[in-house]
Amino acid sequence: MDQTTATKAASPKDYKSDFKPIWCPGCGDFAVLNAITKALAFLELPREEVALITGIGCSGRIAGFTSLYGFHGVHGRALAVGGGLKAARPDLTVLVAGGDGDGLSIGGNHFIHACRRNMNLTYIMMDNEVYGMTKGQASPTTAADWEQSKLTPHGTGIRPFKPADLALTAGASFIARGFAGDPNGLARMLVEAIGHPGFSFVQVLSPCPTFRPEQMQWKTQVRVFEETCTDDPILAAQRIQADDGMSTGIIFRHEHAVFQVKNTVGADLESIEQEFVI
Amino acid sequence: MSLAEKMTDLSTFLAYSVALEQEAAERHDELADMMDVHHNPEVTETFRKLAHYSRAHASEIRQHSAGHDLPVIAPWEFEWDGMEGPETADIADVNYLMSITHALKIALGNERRAHDFYHEISEHSPDAGVRALAAEFAVEELEHLELLEEWQARIADSADEFAFDPDPAHMPE
Repeated sequence: MDQTTATKAASPKDYKSDFKPIWCPGCGDFAVLNAITKALAFLELPREEVALITGIGCSGRIAGFTSLYGFHGVHGRALAVGGGLKAARPDLTVLVAGGDGDGLSIGGNHFIHACRRNMNLTYIMMDNEVYGMTKGQASPTTAADWEQSKLTPHGTGIRPFKPADLALTAGASFIARGFAGDPNGLARMLVEAIGHPGFSFVQVLSPCPTFRPEQMQWKTQVRVFEETCTDDPILAAQRIQADDGMSTGIIFRHEHAVFQVKNTVGADLESIEQEFVI
Repeated sequence: MSLAEKMTDLSTFLAYSVALEQEAAERHDELADMMDVHHNPEVTETFRKLAHYSRAHASEIRQHSAGHDLPVIAPWEFEWDGMEGPETADIADVNYLMSITHALKIALGNERRAHDFYHEISEHSPDAGVRALAAEFAVEELEHLELLEEWQARIADSADEFAFDPDPAHMPE
């Protein structure tokens, strides 16, 4: 049979912590956790050489469910923390994860600048088109006519962001969209994203069974992009615009200069601690 | 060409079979954990038992694999009919208010798909050894189905509807 004869010994379980996820049963975020751990196992990355930085929200809890170094950061600032870590420790594989509200509303500014800065890190946006942790408010990716929130009973009336479109416009060099219902396909996408030299953005359609139960039908609506990945931003823009947001695959990949801070401070731990002595 | 027709050697068939059962066991454990966190002890125990059965079957298949050099296949390179292995429950199918009846319905669906997977290979693999072993595994899956049906009959009074939660997560404040 035609198959990759991978000789990987690491197990996805090695990358999970002993904490049981507290997400609602049926949540797409479970599959994202599985996809991340499968990707890391395939790549055989030592746990101590990977950091997972997360924002606030249901999805932000994911770092605690892994055995990686993690930082559950301030709302919307996961990319700032992740970028800082990468600047200080370019040897680490840095993954950043959060939700659509965390990444596009509170953290929207950090998102667009992370795209254009093109540091070598991977940003996973678990997009369920709702603020779940705060009990179901409209987020920047919520459809304008979604009327199920008490805060916006007649819908927001505001056109939602298309995350891939925004990432492309802001200069991201790797843009992909995956689906939580396909954890194996998502794992493969993450392997590609982690291997990409530069900022890789992976939007994951991750259904919320509690506040957006209709999203449980996404599994009948998602499809793979008919076209293969392009390095032409105009073509990528046309594909994103023509799509209804339910096509999955690597949309755009282009290699350009990776930003990395050149002048690192050569301070030892003792002298850094001295800075904090009151 | 179907997957069954591509199943030309015993090592590949065994690699698929181990992955099928292992993935099913891990998913059942994952579902049990979900139910445990959400204080649904009966369904937690049900999924835990199902995980135990899947692990036992995976162990049997590993014994069959002794002496074979199984190929290591990346998760996304398995050519399953669906997004995951045929015996792997869909995470999207569970709810914290589900009953044992719901859990067993999911398990029955998984076992039927696993049976169909093995049965298809037992009919269409070009290799006689693969066909014979697949037929054996298909019979075992039928036995699992019967056990589940008996289990289902024993708990016939179990609720077929979701439990009532007076304070659901989506209750407006």
